[in-house]
Amino acid sequence: MRRWTRKLTLVTGVVTAGALVAACGAGSSREASGGEAGGASDVGITEDTVTIGAHFPLTGVAAPGYSEIPTGMKAYFDYVNAQGGVDGRKIEFVVRDDGYNPTNTSQVTNELVLKDEIFAMVGGLGTPTHAGVVDFLNSEKVPDLFVSSGSIQWGDEPDVKPYTFGWQPDYESEGKIIGQYVAENMPDAKVGLFLQDDDLGRDSEKGVRQFIDDQIVAVERYTSGNTDVAPQIAGLQAKGADLVLSFNTPSYTALSQLVAMKLNYQPQWFYANIGSDPTLVGSLLSKFSEGAVDGASPLDGVLTTEYIAGVDSTEDPWVKLWQKVWDEHGENGELTNYRIYGMAKAYAFVQALMAAGPDPTRDGIVEAVEQWDPATPGPELAPFRFTADSHMGIAGMQVVELKGGAGEPLTPVLTTDIGDAPIEEDTSGQADDAPPASGIPEVEPVG
Amino acid sequence: MQQFLTTALTGLTLGMVYAAFALALVLIWRSTRIVNFAQAPMAMITTYVALVVIDAGYSYWIGFAVALVAGLVLGAVVERVVVRPVEGKSEINAVILTLGLFIVIHALAAVIFGSRYRSFPAPFGLRGFQVGDLNLAITGFGIFTIVAVLVVMALLVALFRLTDLGLMMRASAFNAEVARLLGVKVGRMLTLGWALAALVGSLAGLLIAGGSLVHPSYMDSVVVYGFVAAVLGGLDSPAGAVVGGLLLGVSLSFVSGYVGSELVALAALVILMLVLLLRPGGLFSHAAERRV
Repeated sequence: MRRWTRKLTLVTGVVTAGALVAACGAGSSREASGGEAGGASDVGITEDTVTIGAHFPLTGVAAPGYSEIPTGMKAYFDYVNAQGGVDGRKIEFVVRDDGYNPTNTSQVTNELVLKDEIFAMVGGLGTPTHAGVVDFLNSEKVPDLFVSSGSIQWGDEPDVKPYTFGWQPDYESEGKIIGQYVAENMPDAKVGLFLQDDDLGRDSEKGVRQFIDDQIVAVERYTSGNTDVAPQIAGLQAKGADLVLSFNTPSYTALSQLVAMKLNYQPQWFYANIGSDPTLVGSLLSKFSEGAVDGASPLDGVLTTEYIAGVDSTEDPWVKLWQKVWDEHGENGELTNYRIYGMAKAYAFVQALMAAGPDPTRDGIVEAVEQWDPATPGPELAPFRFTADSHMGIAGMQVVELKGGAGEPLTPVLTTDIGDAPIEEDTSGQADDAPPASGIPEVEPVG
Repeated sequence: MQQFLTTALTGLTLGMVYAAFALALVLIWRSTRIVNFAQAPMAMITTYVALVVIDAGYSYWIGFAVALVAGLVLGAVVERVVVRPVEGKSEINAVILTLGLFIVIHALAAVIFGSRYRSFPAPFGLRGFQVGDLNLAITGFGIFTIVAVLVVMALLVALFRLTDLGLMMRASAFNAEVARLLGVKVGRMLTLGWALAALVGSLAGLLIAGGSLVHPSYMDSVVVYGFVAAVLGGLDSPAGAVVGGLLLGVSLSFVSGYVGSELVALAALVILMLVLLLRPGGLFSHAAERRV
């Protein structure tokens, strides 16, 4: 009997203590979000840290190139931390490897949200991968900022996915800008489309067809993972396409170039931004340059688009900043376009965090991003489209021709949106701004 | 016409690659009576060895030879160290073991060589030939592939049909106990079988890699298609493997070019099912006669 009571007392004690701790925890967080500056204002925020996380393919087929993005983000966060962080808080960036496999993405996202208790997901990569966790993040009310994918689904329905925001120009807008350029400058071209058989191919085809539906003579789709694209390229050749618009990942740019060589097929190539990184594709093709592919830059003369300045634009003030950040805080290896992509994205997150004020909350940062001032200087060439009604990212890009690894502009920066939105020349001046001397954004809290 | 020709020719080269891989499967089946699922990653690792040698500044052919020797050694070592302990037990043990090996070698390759795509050079031109207006979608390296596979097939037929060694290998695989009673050193024959199969596998790896991109899983799709090709040919006959490979390569190329690339894997399975339903022993099998 006595033993039984003792046990009961113990259990009651433990339960009460637990409940008390929980109550204290809940109370303090509510209190902090009310006003106490510099405290733990929400999950993932402490007095001196902000913990954020993301899923990236660090291994597997999608790893080449993409695995460099988080290294760029981390270098920029370290740069900001070395100068005192944001509102006295250091940014801790947790990267988890999903191998570009949606099953793994769910698992690592669970770990990030429930175990690592991240304040926000920043830059989670991939359309099929991120699509699997976007509902979970929204139901848990975790800000899901700047998804690393150009699918329109991150930004076109903010009422369904209020916590999710895109970042790069969406594939449909890119398709529209490319379509209009072809309609205006190559009205006689017989156009062939070479598409990845998923959102990338579908969204961009929709955009392209708005302008040059009657010029398209052939459409070929490849399945990602099937590396034999000879039958598809042969199909384009057979229909007589002399301009090929390709919406594919970088490895497939290299594969399509190799097959075209085998088939003696020499159309004008126009690769979408996602597949045209000259450094990566060039390194893939360099081994074949002995006699077969001429010159050091196999992609010379190829058309593509740009929305941030690349590593070869050494005079650009943003690229100078990235170079400085990478020299001071980077890991091994060179600065690459993928690392620049990561740094530009990290820069946008620091802007958002500053705009959310000294006591950031999850809902607060979402509101702050929705009230983004398009005139805020940033590395992107065109402004963001963020409003309460649209969570679409960068509004536009310019068409460039690759020469010696760098892009030479053929058009001014053009902006547009999904659907029937017109294509206009950008007047925001985003393309000509420069970073503050400190290299850290200067953003006032909103609201 | 041009598209038809191009599709057929690219299918032919691809089919020869499947055939090379199927030959390795046939070889190991004939000399040990198990199916080696680790064949693909073993070939992948020897291809990376060749890449390291070539990147160090040596010629393509030195890398080629080093990879083949590495394959021979790797096959023998795997048999001696990994497979030997389960020999004589149920065959399924060895097969499951090779599946485990598949995963281990994959992971090792990613750790040692990294998982990014790398280009692999080719010793011959990668441009197609042109006859008048007609473009032949076959490259110097494609012709080399075809010749290499036919030579290996001929050598294998000769080995199994015409030499005592081949007879001893078949005997040890078919009935180890009886072979041992007849004075065959069964252990050595099994090691040799694995070594030779791994050598042919490395050749397949090099032929697939040449003039294309390699990464730790570049051989994975070839495992599936090579296996289908070997089964088409009856798992037992080198000539069957080559015909099976060609048949599969050309059919899949046409499916991809004229129907849709998303149906390629499905088409391979349909072909496999049809053959298994209509001729369960494969198109060229003699195994049925031997079954008692």
